[in-house]
Amino acid sequence: MQTMIQLEGVDKVYRTDRIETVALSSINLDVKAGEFVSVMGPSGCGKSTLLNVIGLLDEPTKGRVQLNGTAVSSYRDAALAKMRNRELGFIFQTFHLIPDLSVADNVEIPLLYRRMAGAERRKLALAALERVGLTSRIHHFPSQLSGGQQQRVAIARAVVGSPRILLADEPTGNLDSQMGDEIMHLLHGLQKDSGTTIVMVTHDPRLADQTQRIVRLFDGRQVQ
Amino acid sequence: MLRSYLKLAWRVLWRRKFFTLISLFGISFTLVVLMVATAVLDHVFAPLAPEVRQARTLGIFRARMIGDHRSQTSMPGYQLLDTYARNLPGVERMAIFSMAQTVYSYPSGQRIKSLLKRTDAEYWRILDFTFLEGGPFTDQDVANASFVAVINQTTRDRFFGGAPAVGRTLEADGQRFRVIGVVPDVPVLRLVANGDIYAPVTTAKSDAYTRQLMGGFGGLLLARSPADFPAIKAELATRIRAAQLPDKQWQRLFAPAETFFESIAGNLFGGRDDERSHPERLWAVIVTAMLLFSLLPAVNLVNLNMSRIMERASEIGVRKAFGASSRALVAQFIVENLVLTLVGGAAGLSLSALVLRALNTSSLIPHAHFTINVRIFLYGLGLAMFFGLLSGVYPAWRMSRLHPVQALKGASR
Amino acid sequence: MTRHLLTLVWNRKRSNLLIAVEVLLSFIVLSAVTTLAVFYADNYRKPLGFSVDRIWVISAEAHASSGRTSMTVESDGSDTAAAPKRADRPRIERRAMMAQLLLALRDLPEVEAVAAAAVTPYGGNTWTSDIEIGGRHHRFGMSAGTDDFARTMGLEMLRGRWFTREDDGSAWRPVVINDRLARELFPAGDPIGQFIAEDRPGDAAANPADRMRVVGVIREYRKDGEYAAPENFVFDRVRLDDTRADVADARDIVIRVRPGTTAAFEARAVTALRNAAPDWTFQAESLTQSRDTALQYWLAPLTAAAVVSLFLLVMVAMGLSGVLWLHVTQRTREVGLRRAKGATAVNIRRQLVGEVVVLTGIATLVGLAIVVQFPILEVFSAVSPFVYGVSLAISLVCIFLLAMACAWTPARMASLVPPAEALRYE
Repeated sequence: MQTMIQLEGVDKVYRTDRIETVALSSINLDVKAGEFVSVMGPSGCGKSTLLNVIGLLDEPTKGRVQLNGTAVSSYRDAALAKMRNRELGFIFQTFHLIPDLSVADNVEIPLLYRRMAGAERRKLALAALERVGLTSRIHHFPSQLSGGQQQRVAIARAVVGSPRILLADEPTGNLDSQMGDEIMHLLHGLQKDSGTTIVMVTHDPRLADQTQRIVRLFDGRQVQ
Repeated sequence: MLRSYLKLAWRVLWRRKFFTLISLFGISFTLVVLMVATAVLDHVFAPLAPEVRQARTLGIFRARMIGDHRSQTSMPGYQLLDTYARNLPGVERMAIFSMAQTVYSYPSGQRIKSLLKRTDAEYWRILDFTFLEGGPFTDQDVANASFVAVINQTTRDRFFGGAPAVGRTLEADGQRFRVIGVVPDVPVLRLVANGDIYAPVTTAKSDAYTRQLMGGFGGLLLARSPADFPAIKAELATRIRAAQLPDKQWQRLFAPAETFFESIAGNLFGGRDDERSHPERLWAVIVTAMLLFSLLPAVNLVNLNMSRIMERASEIGVRKAFGASSRALVAQFIVENLVLTLVGGAAGLSLSALVLRALNTSSLIPHAHFTINVRIFLYGLGLAMFFGLLSGVYPAWRMSRLHPVQALKGASR
Repeated sequence: MTRHLLTLVWNRKRSNLLIAVEVLLSFIVLSAVTTLAVFYADNYRKPLGFSVDRIWVISAEAHASSGRTSMTVESDGSDTAAAPKRADRPRIERRAMMAQLLLALRDLPEVEAVAAAAVTPYGGNTWTSDIEIGGRHHRFGMSAGTDDFARTMGLEMLRGRWFTREDDGSAWRPVVINDRLARELFPAGDPIGQFIAEDRPGDAAANPADRMRVVGVIREYRKDGEYAAPENFVFDRVRLDDTRADVADARDIVIRVRPGTTAAFEARAVTALRNAAPDWTFQAESLTQSRDTALQYWLAPLTAAAVVSLFLLVMVAMGLSGVLWLHVTQRTREVGLRRAKGATAVNIRRQLVGEVVVLTGIATLVGLAIVVQFPILEVFSAVSPFVYGVSLAISLVCIFLLAMACAWTPARMASLVPPAEALRYE
């Protein structure tokens, strides 16, 4: 199986007003295509930072990042944006849906940045919403949905462009256990049906145990 | 893509109604002020029928006589123009006209107030009036001091109820005139061409005007082309410098040939002994004023836009995460801003039209016909778009540079 | 609390600077507008000194074409006479004709009284003079009228009398002054019969007949109308049968008509005048009409300034809202923290409003420092401290109300942020 995500010697240091914070130190990570990996560790250990680096939202201070065989370290803004659009999908703890857009419009967002006609965009969005089981609410606004429903919309948004990698940052953190289970069910389904590689940050060992591999971080370093 | 931006723009603006309203208010108010000012300036200075040959016409609108302890400023007198302003090199035609005076008529007990202007025959050949009836008076009429007159439409309405007036007589200031022509109304702010009744200069009640160096008249010089202007100005200045002054308490006289705009500048900025008109100073004042009136709202709009965008920091983060390039984000916010400014612009344009119409119908400025012609409309549209781009580019650019992680965290510093 | 607010405002000086400048500009222009408006309003209350109803003014001009074009004559004061000298003969002829015109008008049934005068109300003409007495300068407006003028115009005599034939043989120049000037020149005692003793360098003994002697005091003669500031005034006597060259000339005919006279009277009057002097130009206008036109011109600068003021206030509203919105958005986290530490919604609102007050306060303080120079340096001596005071108060209140109104929505926005929501941005 090919390597989907590869991090080699990755460091991330934040420098603000003469204060240096080491968020990540010497991270080496290989994630194979179709794997479901959890990242765990105490608060402040750098798990979100790791996810941001993989997701090309943050540039490592040192080291190499490769996605789907492509080295992205030298990429500039436009190229990174394109990469994110094609290969990555994000799911956030606080959903981050755009309140002024309807459910369908929210899901369409990744497709806006591809060359596509409006009708086709709508078709794909509806298909994605069907996968998460929310076809009855396409014209609603995020404020009219429950937490679980909002997260499902976020998932639909993340998969609508058929990315190969999904990055989820505490996806069930704001949900009760029942809704949380539904979301996890959805994620596992995506991995099985589409072979999507998923990296999930969580502090819930119960959820982590359901995944194939657990990466543990402590003070920015990998530990076993 | 554009449709989704427009949809979002509408919703975003609607959600924060207070700030949208204030922005719209600011834009439209600014536009009203700028457009009304432009319309008035255009009305006063731009070529307007019957002054169709304004581009190659100079006028003599002011004269100043300077003595040891005193100075006298007024319009030139007939004698000055007659003696020194004829047959200048490069001038095709030369005309003399008086400033319009208020005169009263009392037909059958009512009172009619009119503006009476006295001109020579050449006046009608330099200006191009479209006669509704009849025609102008001739050199012969002027030579004979015939009591004929050209009247405007309003005068025809007032005296003859709008019926054909040529051949009928009217009385003004105790003199009886036979109407030989009717012309459309000229706005009162067009000081060269305005008048309710136009009569030959020789019909004045006394001939004292022919001996006056200063007072009450203006000259028109139709040049072959604007290239002749410098020569004309120089020659007139030379002649007048050599002029005979009425008595020894006066030492200097000047009466420049200039455009109407220059004469206004001269009245405002010309020093006591300064012959020049300094039109660039008047331009500077106008441009500075316009700039001030444009920059202040633009900067305020920038701030409002920054706030509107900042509030959606997380939206920026999300879009970046899902592949929006900086260029796409800038485009989105500029569209949003253009929607705002174009709506404000439309409101401003409509309001300007209303204000101008109110000014037209009010008796403040008679026969005023302020309009928003194509030129002014395009200027207003351009202004609105200028605001839109100016106040949108900077905030949009700042926001597009926001680091996605920071944006998602909501820290928008 | 205030120091805390001041610190906040200072730390954000860059974004606050523009607002401060706008508030400052706005305050200054608003002060100018309100000062002018209050000044007008204050003047309006004061007595006019003459009647406006049933009065007609007919200006008589001997030469038609030179007409009433505006002519500015500036003199640097080294001339000895205020009005330009003219040749004798035409002047005497004009006066004689004027006397005939007055007679012709007296024959009309509608006419109650008729007189001739030099400077009539709302005419736009000004004739001022300046004299020195005991080293102090006194400035006054001047006019001149025939013996019937006071009666025709309805002037209120406070002391003494108007001009009569009694003054024909006097060896001095009889004048009537207004109450204001009387108090200024003769603070103690009766001005009637007193000479106005000018210190004129060298000229004093030259022509004793030129010395002014007060024969009467009128209450007021505000020739520029209700909005003009009261000034000192002196009336000279007009004798239409006078053959001397350098006495006052009267160009305007003033008529008082009986109650019930209609506007049709004007035609008859002008016709009568034209019959008597066909070479002259007459412009007749009722005083009420002249007043309306003149007041319009007085209001024009006020209107223009008000538009600019309104514009600046709108700018302040825009600027303030924008910056406050930005502050609220940027400090959502801070707000949440404060809330978590026990601040109530009201406290948060107050803090934001407090910042606005501090910011506006600083700007208006600077503005006040600038604006207060005007009364201190007496730049516009006609404007009283009372007027300045009232207008400054109005301007301050307006600016602060505007600032509060703009702070309202952002403050509400800030206080509605629930603590947990804000803290989640972590």
